[in-house]
This record gives sequence, structure tokens and C-alpha cells, in this order.
Amino acid sequence: MVQLVGSLRRELAESLSTCKVLVVGAGGIGCELLKNLVLTGFKNIEVIDLDTIDVSNLNRQFLFQKKHVGKSKAQVAKESALQFCPSANITAYHDSIMNPDYNVEFFRKFMLVMNALDNRAARNHVNRMCLAADIPLIESGTAGYLGQVTVIKKGMTECYECQPKPTQKTFPGCTIRNTPSEPIHCIVWAKYLFNQLFGEEDADQEVSPDTADPEAAWNPEDTAARATASEKDGDIKRVSTKEWARSTGYDSVKLFNKLFKDDIMYLLTMDKLWKKRKAPIPLDWQQLENMRPQEESPASGLKDQQVLGVWGYCQLFQHSVETLRLQLQEKGEGSELVWDKDDPPAMDFVTAAANLRMHIFSMNMKSRFDVKSMAGNIIPAIATTNAVIAGLIVLEGLKILSGELESCRTIFLNKCPNLRKKLLVPCILDPPSANCYVCASKPEVTVKLNVQKTTVLSLQDRILKERFGMVAPDVQIEDGKGTILISSEEGETEGKVLLGFLSILQGIFLQEQEKHSDEELERDVEFEVVGEAPDKAPPPQNNQEEVNSITNGNKDSAQPSTSSKGEHHCSFCVHKQKHEELLGSIVEKVPTPLASGAIVASVKHSLQTFFVA
Amino acid sequence: MIDMIEKEDPVISEEEAAQYDRQIRLWGLDAQKRLRGSRVLLAGVGGLGAEVAKNLILAGVKGLTLLDHEQVSEDSCRAQFLVPVTAQGQNRAQASLERAQNLNPMVEVHADPGRIEDKPDDFFLQFDASWTPSEICIKKVAFSRQHRSYLRVLGVLGQLDKLGPTHQSQRHQPTHDFTRGHGVPGLVSALFGHDLGKVKCEVCLTGCSRDLMVRVDQLCSKHNIKVFCGDVHGYYGYMFCNLGPEHNYVEEKPKVVKPPADSNDGPEAKKAKIDPNETTMVKKTTSFCTLKEALEVDWTSEKAKAGLKRTPVDYFLLHVLLKFHTDKGRDPDPKSFPEDSQLLRQIRDDVLEALALSADLLNDDFISYCFSEMSPVCAVVGGVLGQEVVKALSQRDPPHRNFFFFDARKGNGVVDYFGPN
Repeated sequence: MVQLVGSLRRELAESLSTCKVLVVGAGGIGCELLKNLVLTGFKNIEVIDLDTIDVSNLNRQFLFQKKHVGKSKAQVAKESALQFCPSANITAYHDSIMNPDYNVEFFRKFMLVMNALDNRAARNHVNRMCLAADIPLIESGTAGYLGQVTVIKKGMTECYECQPKPTQKTFPGCTIRNTPSEPIHCIVWAKYLFNQLFGEEDADQEVSPDTADPEAAWNPEDTAARATASEKDGDIKRVSTKEWARSTGYDSVKLFNKLFKDDIMYLLTMDKLWKKRKAPIPLDWQQLENMRPQEESPASGLKDQQVLGVWGYCQLFQHSVETLRLQLQEKGEGSELVWDKDDPPAMDFVTAAANLRMHIFSMNMKSRFDVKSMAGNIIPAIATTNAVIAGLIVLEGLKILSGELESCRTIFLNKCPNLRKKLLVPCILDPPSANCYVCASKPEVTVKLNVQKTTVLSLQDRILKERFGMVAPDVQIEDGKGTILISSEEGETEGKVLLGFLSILQGIFLQEQEKHSDEELERDVEFEVVGEAPDKAPPPQNNQEEVNSITNGNKDSAQPSTSSKGEHHCSFCVHKQKHEELLGSIVEKVPTPLASGAIVASVKHSLQTFFVA
Repeated sequence: MIDMIEKEDPVISEEEAAQYDRQIRLWGLDAQKRLRGSRVLLAGVGGLGAEVAKNLILAGVKGLTLLDHEQVSEDSCRAQFLVPVTAQGQNRAQASLERAQNLNPMVEVHADPGRIEDKPDDFFLQFDASWTPSEICIKKVAFSRQHRSYLRVLGVLGQLDKLGPTHQSQRHQPTHDFTRGHGVPGLVSALFGHDLGKVKCEVCLTGCSRDLMVRVDQLCSKHNIKVFCGDVHGYYGYMFCNLGPEHNYVEEKPKVVKPPADSNDGPEAKKAKIDPNETTMVKKTTSFCTLKEALEVDWTSEKAKAGLKRTPVDYFLLHVLLKFHTDKGRDPDPKSFPEDSQLLRQIRDDVLEALALSADLLNDDFISYCFSEMSPVCAVVGGVLGQEVVKALSQRDPPHRNFFFFDARKGNGVVDYFGPN
């Protein structure tokens, strides 16, 4: 005979009160989730979040109040949730889940892990840790009215990384530097400019006119000639933008005239660009100052919602440059500022610079509010969507704890019902992808690279960490001697050595190279993962028609990147480099739990990264 | 109340803009302004009521009154997070006040321990005239009530588009301190059949008996008042809405950008394209039927039979649960599980027979999963219901027409229309 405790079977209610669960993230979904968990009868809960409370969280993260702004989310969430059920046992960690302290042993404590995250790096990491610990994971995400919940269980379902996720949208350098056609191009440019002037300089974030733009010359030789010429006459571009700015004492008028007059005049000399486009119109500080409007009456309404006039943005530019200069000065010699949408002068600077450039390129200017959305990749968020998704997480959790994993589903929340009338759309969980380099039983991936150009450091940073999302990789050469190539321990890796200099690898590469002798890496591509288009667009759709694209609230997916780390996508851009000389190819095994050094230590014998001969 | 409505500044303050930033980026400033001009009476603060209260307070309505005459008991608060554990025996609305207020200090939250049916008609009449005719501020009042021990009514009331000038003379009459005049007239008048004149209202009911819901719905329809109903039974939950024969709203559509004439052949200037950054607001209208009509669909017609396969079985489950409520005067109770299970089975047979449908349509499986109120189900239904109220208040985006059913065992959430076409 069925016995109920509230709505639940007695056995289920009892297992809830004894099992231990982990909630990763105490933000929008996390707050709702903690409430649902304690009200449903979960008694042993651990929650981790590295973030602190911001005023913009308060419209949905209902465990927090204004008086908590600046405090640890995990800690305050714990205290508030305990009021709903003081007999619950909640542990809070104000920390990153990617900290190696949270190792496989830590994850094994739990019956169930629930992700309430907002970024892909942490999702990848928890995915790998749960696979390594073989603990069921409930993954979730929201973006505006949309949301999704899914269940990941090793060997039974797809893991978080089985399907490639759409990468950040990037823009061709020449569009950003020479021919912006949309506001976002100007906003990306303004963020690059911030880094060039006040932050960490990045060669990929150049803001000056791109003289090598092939479209300006129609034939690559002209381009090369022009590029050489510009190098010869000691063009100011050759001096670091930051050095130049510093040499002027961050004189905002000089900066203004260089960026919005001289550089634009230079662009105008590349006349081919403007044959079929509207040419930009340079701005001149003095001229604008002379023409400046008489005492503008202050508009009513929200400041951020207003679109100022050109002179308004000139003043904002001047004022923000001055403030940022002082900030830099206070931080001392050689310091750098980091752009943050919530830092008012940094946001003002981008608003001003982007709008001035929009004006130059005949676009309608945007309010600070709109610029902030785009520059800060802000994903709108509301309480109701998070409430629905957090409710669904607990319901999936109840199925898992009842031993009904086969009845688990991935569920999408739509804005409107689909053609089959569904607002909440459950879909069967797909089995693991056989060639997933994270969860397959023999995780292996082939990477093609140029051994003469790739250093051990770039293998570690660009390939293992950036591309494969490893946190602290250890790499051992499979040469019978177990030579360590990369160590997660500080200072044990000789990073600057080219892979080609390691004679053992050389042999391997040469051997491998024969197989791929007819292939070569695309120009300017550092490496390529074989069998996988590197930036493949959206993941394959599920077999059910109602499956919509996975928005999943990725801070790093929905919006265009403003730090174009990826390759140049511009089909026009020709690069000056000669073809890569020697192309090698290596096969790496990328074991699942390599995400953390700590794991590697505990299961080292089977988990090194190998180069296969 | 009078003063607030009169002097209500439609401009959002910087403080509000900071707190509501992430939602203003979703539904826009106009929708936010309409929300903050909305007053809500929420009566019946159980698990679902608490979820709806939370969602509306966080969304930033102008005011919310919690109305509930129930005492706090362990059972009635299983999924209720606004009531402190130390509040056993206290009035449920009053016990919920502090936490509800803490959710958002910018919302005026009040508690009232009274019974809505004890309020005399003229108590509400005085508020009737307190509404200011205003195009900008759309007033809403949500209301919910507890009817005996099991009846929960939750209502959103009092959208005021245009009020005749005759009402204005009464504007300065003293307001009652109970609800400070939050448009309750709409609702209560609906309940008591008082003529509302030009006042447009919305009512939202959860967990009440079929008879009461139908009666309220009919009264509301007659007076052009918008109605929501909803409830949670164990793993199942639903929502119904009747926004009247003519509900107007706006929908944001991407703007089609035509290429400027002088750049028609540039390499990057392509044909007319959709600019994801630019949108336009399109005005739309939709219509609804009454709850009575929605529940009295004739399944004997050939057409109805043909559509049966595509009909969510949850609709029939709702009939069973409503009938149980009517017969027993309460919802299925875990404490009397064996008897209630037996009765549910019997009612299922009776209901389907009365509708001339096969008993196979709804197998016994549902029986042991429809007891009590379950927190995650309240969260899902309260989330969908809360968002529908926000939509109606802000008159933005197409409303769900006219039922939403949630089956927590399947993770299925269906929106379907029942009633005359």
C-alpha cells in the first residue's frame, strides 16, 4: 500500500532526508533551487558560489536583500534558505567550484549534483568531475523567457560536452578596424580601444586602420606593398597605442583627434573601401567645440536611456578618459585596468567611443543602456523563468532518487507553446556520443599542428586549457620512460620549447605526418582538431521537432565575443605569412578527469595525456 | 491610495532602474512602468499563492495585499516559504507579511486577516470612484481568497483603462484602512455581482471549487473583468485564464530593414534584412471564453471526438479533481489516502461517463500522485501563472489561451484551448 508524506512516497521522502546533494551556483536558479529543495524535504545540502551580491541580482535572486549587496551569495543564500527549514543542514562555500580542493573525492560525497551556473567553463568542469566521480548531474540554464534542464549520467546519457556548443561570435578584424556597418562593430572596437589604452594590450585587438585590408587594394601585392610602406614611414600605428597615449599624458583632445579624425582621414585614403559604401565622416574636436549647442536642457527620465548628441559624447569621452587616466595613475607604474561593464567610467568610455564611431559611420547612436547590453553581453533574467527551471530540476532529482533514471528528460521552457501545444517540452535523453573526447570510454582526439611553431606552452595554454577546457593538465610522453612534458605543478614545465625540438616527438610527428600528407592547416590557424569543424555552428538538433536551440544561459555563448581569440573569419583577409612549412599531427588522449590536477594525482596511472607513437 | 494613484509618476527612478535592470532589458521600460502602476490583492497564501506573491513582488508591482483568514498549520504550509516556522497558529497572511515585504522594499505589501465574504458591498464601493482615469497608469489588483479550509482564490483585478468623470467626484472620500482601496471593488463586485461600470478588472483564482470559479468567471465576463484560475494537486497543476472577448496587447517583432538606396550594391549592404537589434511593436487582439464554456465542452460531437486524441488528458483529470472538491468540500488528503483514492477512482469513472467518454482515457496511475501541494510543482505553475499575470498587467506578448496544464511526472507543460471557437 502506498504511503504518502505530503505528495511523496514515504520511501522517497525518507531518502530525501538522508541523502546529500550539491548545488553549484547560488544565483538566479540557485536561490529558487535551494528554496525548492528544503521545502521538498532535502536536509543535507552543500552550496558553492564564488560571487558576491549585486543590486541587479535583486529582481530575481530572492534570498538576497539590498542590505546583502557585496556579501557572499552562497553564505547569504544558506542563511535565508535555513529560515524556511531550520532543521536542514546547509554548508556554504564562497569559492570557485574549479578550485582543485573540490576533487573527485569531494564530488563522491553527493548522491546528486545540480548545476545552477551561468558560464560554460564551470559547466564543463562540473561535467567532467561528475563523470569522473560517476555522480548524476542535473544541468540547467535560463536566458530571458527561455530555459532548459537536463540530466547527465555517465554511460547513459550525453554529457555536457558531447555536442559541440556554438562558439562566441567573432568579427573580422577589418570590419572592426576599417568598415564597421553595425553598432556592435563600433562597440567591439571601443572595448578593444579601452584595452589598447588602459588595459592589457592584445595584438588581436588592434583599433587603427588595417592597411592590409585586401578589399582596399583588390590585389594582395598592393596590400603587401601598402603594408610595407606604412611600416617604413614609421606610421604611428607601429608605436603601441598605449605608449603613444601615455606620451601625450592621455590628452583627451589629442586622443580624440587621432581616433576620430586622423585615423578616419587615413581610412578615407583607402578609397576602394568607400566606392560602394558610405564613407565615414571625420570629427574634429575644435570644430565641434565651436559649434557646441547652447546649454542643453537636461532631459527627463532615466539617464542611461537617453541618446546624447555628438558633443555630449565628446564630453563623455573627455571626462571618462580623464577619470580612467587617474585610475591608472593611482594603480601605479605599469598597471593595467580591466574593463568591467559595472565600472561607470569604463562603461562611459565605451559608450562615448562607440557612439562617436557610430556617428562617423552614419549609424544611429545608442543609449548607454543599449550599449551596455551589447558590450557587457548581458543576458536578461527574470524570476519566473528561474522559478520554473528550478522546479523542474527538483522534479528530475526526485526521479533520480527514486531510481527512475530512465524516465528523466531534458526539458525546454519555451516562450510560446510550440506547434504541438507544448510550453514545457520534455525530450528523451540521448545516449553518449561515441566519439566525445570527454565521456567516451576511450577518450581520444587527434590534433593537427605545426611542430616547428607550437611551443609546449601553447600546447598547454591554447590547446589543452583553452580548446579542451582542462584546468591543470599533466602531459606525459608515451616513450616508455614516462617523460613529463607538462606538469600541473608550478615551474616544472619548460614552456618555451618548440614541440619540434623534442626529438622523440619529432619521430612521432613524422610518422603521423605521412597519413596526413595531403592535408594542411588553413593559413593562420594555429591548430586543428581532426574530425571536428572547429567552430561548428549550432549543435545538431534533437530528433524531436520541438527541440529548440540550447540557449542555456551561457554568459559566453549567446553574445558576440568582444575578445576575438578565434581565427580570422574574414574571407577577404589575406595573411602575409607563407604557408606553414611542416605540418605535423599528433594524437592525444584527453582523459576525462584531467580537468583538475588533484584528480590526476589520485588516479595518475591511467589518466595521463599521451602522445601516441 | 487615492493620492498615490493621482500623483503616480510614470517615470521609473534610477533606483528602480538599477534593481529591475535585467528584466527591463527583457520586457522594456513601458512594461515595467505598467507593472509599477499596478496594485494587486492576493488572497489565499498557500504554496501556489506564495510563489505568485514572490513573482509579482519581485517583478515590481506598485502594491500587494495578502488576504487570508486561515491559521498557519503544518500541512497548509508544506510548500509555503513566506511563513516562518515559529508562526504556527497565527494568521497566514499576517505571518507572511514580513518575508513578502523583504523581497522588495519598493513594493507596498499589506496583510489582511479578514474574510472577503464578510466585507459589505459598500465597503468596496467607496474605492470604486477612487480610481483615476489615466491612460498611462493601468491599475490592477490581484485577489485571492480562502473559502472555508480548502478554498483558495487568487485574483488579479482592477485594470482601469478609462473611468467616467462622474467617479472622480468621489475620489476624496476616506479610504478604508483594510486594503487602502486597492481596486478591490473590481474583484469583490465581481463576486457580489455589483455593477462595475467601466472598470476593467482581472481576477485570478486558484484552488477553489468549480461552482465558485464559474460564478466569479461569469460575473467577471459580464463586467469585462479578466480572470485567472489555477491549482496544484501533488504532481499536477493547471492554470486557466479568461481575459475577455477582446484582450489587447503588443508584441515585439523584429524590424525588417530596407537597404538605403545609395548602398544597394556594396559588398556588405545586402537585400532587405531583419535587423536583430531593431524591433517594432505590433498591436494585437485575442479573445477568450468563460470558464463555464471551457468546462462544458460537448464531447459527443464528431468533431470533438476526432480531436480527442490530441487533447491533453490533464483536462479530464481537472474535471475529476474539481468534482472531488465539489463532493467532499476539500482536496484529496494524504491522511485519508485509502478512502480518497477509492473516491478518486469512482469520480474518474463518473466524470468520464458523464462526458460520454471511455474510462480508459485516464488510467488509475494518477491517483496516488495528486495529493497535497508539492513545492517544485508550485514553483513551475506559480512561475507560469506569475508570468501570465505580468503579461496581462503589462499588456505585452500573447497570453496563453486558455489552459496551461503541468504534469510533473512527465515534465510536460501544455497550453490548449477549450471552449467554443
